[in-house]
Amino acid sequence: MVRRWLGPLVALLFTAELALAQPPLRWGADAEGGAPLVEADPRNPSQMVGFDVEIAGLIARELGRRPQFVQVAFTSLDQSALRGDFDIGLGGIEDSAARRQVLGVSVPYFQFREVLTVRIADRERFQSLASLRGARVATLGGTLAYDLLRRAEATEGLTAVSYDDDVHPYEDLALGRVDAVLLDHILAERAVRRTSGLVIQPEALAVGHYVVVVPPGQTALLADVNRVLMAAMADGRLEQIFRTWEVWNEDQPPLHARVLAEGPAAVGGGTAASGESGRTAGRDALRRFAPQLVRAAGVTLVLSCAAMLLAVVLGVLIATGRVYGGRATRALLLAYVEVVRGTPVLLQLFLIYYGLAEVIRLPAFLAALLGLALNYAAYESEIYRSALEAIPQGQLEAARMLGFSRWQTLRLIRGPQALRLALAPMTNDFVALLKDSSLVSVLTVVELTKQTQIMATNIGSWLVPGLACGALYLLMSLPLSHLARRLETRWKLEGA
Amino acid sequence: MSPVVSVSHVHLRRGGRPVLKGVHLTAQAGDIVALMGLSGSGKTTVLRLLAGLEAPDAGEVVAPPAGLVFQFHFLFEHLSALENVCLALVHVHRVPRGEAEARARRLLDDLGVGHRAEALPRHLSGGEAQRVAIARALAVDPPVLLLDEPTASLDPARRADLADLLRRLAQSGRTLVLTSHDDEFVRTVATRLLVLADGVVVESGDPQVVLSAPMHAATRRLLRQERVE
Repeated sequence: MVRRWLGPLVALLFTAELALAQPPLRWGADAEGGAPLVEADPRNPSQMVGFDVEIAGLIARELGRRPQFVQVAFTSLDQSALRGDFDIGLGGIEDSAARRQVLGVSVPYFQFREVLTVRIADRERFQSLASLRGARVATLGGTLAYDLLRRAEATEGLTAVSYDDDVHPYEDLALGRVDAVLLDHILAERAVRRTSGLVIQPEALAVGHYVVVVPPGQTALLADVNRVLMAAMADGRLEQIFRTWEVWNEDQPPLHARVLAEGPAAVGGGTAASGESGRTAGRDALRRFAPQLVRAAGVTLVLSCAAMLLAVVLGVLIATGRVYGGRATRALLLAYVEVVRGTPVLLQLFLIYYGLAEVIRLPAFLAALLGLALNYAAYESEIYRSALEAIPQGQLEAARMLGFSRWQTLRLIRGPQALRLALAPMTNDFVALLKDSSLVSVLTVVELTKQTQIMATNIGSWLVPGLACGALYLLMSLPLSHLARRLETRWKLEGA
Repeated sequence: MSPVVSVSHVHLRRGGRPVLKGVHLTAQAGDIVALMGLSGSGKTTVLRLLAGLEAPDAGEVVAPPAGLVFQFHFLFEHLSALENVCLALVHVHRVPRGEAEARARRLLDDLGVGHRAEALPRHLSGGEAQRVAIARALAVDPPVLLLDEPTASLDPARRADLADLLRRLAQSGRTLVLTSHDDEFVRTVATRLLVLADGVVVESGDPQVVLSAPMHAATRRLLRQERVE
């Protein structure tokens, strides 16, 4: 009797001991990726669930290590792997030639199809990329689908719109901000279940594979991962996991058969994954990306200037209301200023773009412009208010004695002097706004920082794109500071 | 002849504290009335009542539109001396700019600061700033001119010039009311003197008489303090 239990018990204890002695297996993924890959358990959000969670658990168990989740933004997974932030990365990571050049990439463990999702009304109209000429097609940045769309921009004349997550493309599709979404069928099927009014086109535009990545040089770990994956393919454990999550389909048995036949040399990617991507030398990439970076810098500049202009106008109005308004007006404006200053601008941008979408569907650029302007208006108004209050009471009484109305006093005497006082802090704010404008990339506006990120993802390095991006920001901000200093000096010496 | 300005039985409290407790004052055209008193006696408040910048709690203030020259001038710092003088002409009285500027230049010339017309206030000396402030107040030709501590920023030579100027303004038919700590200046320029203490007029009359033979302890204290200062 005792004997029957002893064996498994010893094995269990041994495994537990091993798991305790070994460092945990850190696995990186983006929990925002969502079900069925990786998501926070709705019943217990501190737990991750999804088929990639189970695969990570399987690998860790087989290696005698305890799995430890590391949150990494999807578009930063490669960079994070290069830095060694985790031991293995997975969670919808696609096989690609570019990835294989910089990272250790496992055998493909799942085959997906790139599919178009459209609004039901457009089911007949948009069936292929060719039918989407002039339309806006959304996808997740740094994916095979994004590469496909970038090429289609040139060949089919459509506009690719890049998102940082896979939820908002579908929401914007339902809202009419984009005309189609191209992503893998796993994400598409989930989105269609979640968002009504959408339909997936049956034809697959390409086929791709999910893989596990490991930092470069970790050949032993990579071999272990491959060994575990192939064993799980052979004995059906992988199939069981996929069946649990209802993603097992007829594409998988041939893939598993091929991987088992070819061994660790099996490469995914298949039909369309290779392409323009592929690591390019920094200088060459810079030349290739330079026009896009400059154009993106233009977007940053136009957006910042327009937002600042609006913020200044609104700020002046708010400040005037706070200095001259009645009790209710003052309280209301104070509340506005405190709420805006006390909450993150990122949250405000999300609220304006996505939250307001039920009431009014603002185009991305306009939402970005409004979001930044409304945020900065609060800061500007504080500058103007303190500048207005810095004008001596005696001057205001002198104006009153001379017969000026309150409005005339503000326009001719108080305002112009306050503006001079406000100039230096305003310039600081403008430079800050120039940099804060990078936040609007979450609303799909491709400005300088976003374009840099795209470039960095494409060439697999942040160094050259980062330096180029920084240089462009400086090129824009330094003349501003210089101009403000000159204006200040001029006003100081005026009439001397 | 009916008085140009009159303050009758005026009471004023500020933050619960009585500042004026039944002040009475009248002035005719051509008068130069001086208000003296220790700091806090209420003399500047009387000036502000006459200017219409404050209203009394009780009593009556009758005064035509007045020009006010502040102790610290309060010129509009972003505008030249000339612009300071003609701004109200152009925007309040709708005088065409050319005409307004000509009038402002004449005034500045009259007051001896014509050569500083283009200067910004921060580049003016105390005396120049004061004359620009007087020009600004006179530009719209008010029948009454109020001056708060006009000698505070002036050296003795400038005080004599100012006395001449104020006498000329009075002779042209204006009524002047000023506050001062300077008994020498008051002797030379004022036609009448009121001494305030704790919000009431304790002594009034011909400045020569009042200052030579002060009846009230407050006046004597005031003169003692003047000597020390």
